[in-house]
Amino acid sequence: MKTELKLCALTYGAVLTELGRENADIFVLEADLMKASGTRPFMEAYPDRHINVGVAEQNLVGIAAGLASMQRIPFACTMSNFMSQRASDQVTISVSFNKFNVKLIGCYAGLSQEKNGATHISIMDVAVMRCLPNMKVIVPSDHRELADALKFAAEDNGPLYIRMPRVLPEALFDDSYKFTFNKGYQVKTGCDLTIISNGISSLVASGVLDELEKEGINAGLVHFPVVKPADEEIILEAAEQTGALITVEDHSIYGGLGGLVSEITGKNRSAIVARIGLNDMFGLTASLDFQLDYFGISVENLIKTAKEVISRKK
Amino acid sequence: MENKITDLKNIARQLRLNTFKAITNAGGGHYGGSLSVIEIIAVLYFDIMRINPKNPDDDARDRFVLSKGHAGPVLYTALAMRGYFPLDDLKYLDKPLSSFPKHVDRLKLKGIDASTGSLGQGLSIACGMAISLKQQKKDNLVYVVLGDGELDSGQTWEAAMAASKYGLDNIIAIIDRNQVQIDGSTEEIMPIEPLKDKWTAFGWRASEVDGHDVAALHSEIINAQKKSGKPNIIIAKTIKGCGISFMEGKWQWHSGTIDGSQYKSCLLELGEGE
Repeated sequence: MKTELKLCALTYGAVLTELGRENADIFVLEADLMKASGTRPFMEAYPDRHINVGVAEQNLVGIAAGLASMQRIPFACTMSNFMSQRASDQVTISVSFNKFNVKLIGCYAGLSQEKNGATHISIMDVAVMRCLPNMKVIVPSDHRELADALKFAAEDNGPLYIRMPRVLPEALFDDSYKFTFNKGYQVKTGCDLTIISNGISSLVASGVLDELEKEGINAGLVHFPVVKPADEEIILEAAEQTGALITVEDHSIYGGLGGLVSEITGKNRSAIVARIGLNDMFGLTASLDFQLDYFGISVENLIKTAKEVISRKK
Repeated sequence: MENKITDLKNIARQLRLNTFKAITNAGGGHYGGSLSVIEIIAVLYFDIMRINPKNPDDDARDRFVLSKGHAGPVLYTALAMRGYFPLDDLKYLDKPLSSFPKHVDRLKLKGIDASTGSLGQGLSIACGMAISLKQQKKDNLVYVVLGDGELDSGQTWEAAMAASKYGLDNIIAIIDRNQVQIDGSTEEIMPIEPLKDKWTAFGWRASEVDGHDVAALHSEIINAQKKSGKPNIIIAKTIKGCGISFMEGKWQWHSGTIDGSQYKSCLLELGEGE
């Protein structure tokens, strides 16, 4: 990948430390992955508000729920696969059902686990979290957005999940873009089709527009960082304007962004939807670039898929 | 003190009768694990805990987590008897959309500090509460009642380690050790003994007591309130279905329904009208 990618731990650690300074109710919880999340500076600054439970993700989430019951603001972080799979019932009952103000951060999310492979690559975290009543779900695509999402989370009241990959670009969009909760961002309008993406896939998707133009395809791009509650309006507008949507995500094509867009458009059968992501498959032991390419989150596959959906429109 | 214990005994008898009636009125339910935990709840809610029925959200209150959420009917009945709401409201137990679902729901009823029902999660929540209180140097205590069946769950032991690591001596956990879980006796389904040794090894101050002896329970909890740097666990030995002879010690009565003639004999056993 040509774009320089930076460790999300740098932003998570720095923003949490800043938030911790501003607000004495902020707690940071870890399950032996401080190295991955980057909260050592918080621990050093506020040791009595930094809890490390060891390799015990269920307890991580439960303790966070207890802290929230006392009107504290816990940020609990573990790898997104463990957060959404191993601790799924605790996230469901101790947090979501109780409607406790817990911030769940799934780090090293999706294919960014790279060579850690199938056991560690979360393919269902967005789907799981999106099903939970009371839960908000954010999938940032760059460091500015991650920082804004974290600050939003600290202010917002209620359960919230942030899908945080290991790495993201510093700034994917120009300075005019500002993360707004509950809003998608129309990066470019098009007339032939619209690509909808979030997370690391927004980086791939934003790089394909010129290539599509060369192929004579005028594609729009909607960046969609807030999966829940979803900005249905921007999806339906894109469906109406272009009649064909392609979703791209480093997640299962079931239940995540692709599932969401299909649900929204299915309500009024307004567009053809093609979903790019992991199609009933686990992740691999391979680099991020290799996996993105392997699962079709690539310029080549986007061009191929674009041609297919356009031909299906006719 | 003697008067207090006599009062608590009477309250426990009333709590057992009212709980039994509420469950039966709902068409049956978790008789076994509700009737075993009666004295524990009576001592906590009618003497030990600092609570404020007039202001259930009072920040100065002690916190309570019913980790064995299926004993909800006992907690509802205790709250009613403490004046949180009219006793008559218990007729809504298990009714659709009521404030009294089978497992306690904090969003539906003032006086519930945590919604539970999925076993094994309560001790972690209690740890979070206790960490917050300690960090703010507040002296409120966190009480948590665990079932013995849920001690099979790994999360309970994750929480046990964390409570010890963080020196949460403001937690007083009580195990309703009725020795029976859904499918049979605990030692048959998943042996958990030696329980006291296990908790001690996990860094807790552990003790054992007769969970139906209100005087002994009371004194053990008062002991546990003395700060030692260690979290406290009281293993309260109880009888599943206590008070109703045909239910006592029977795994078949973890939950169930009774008929009209059984109901009358149960009321007699529970001292209705005395």
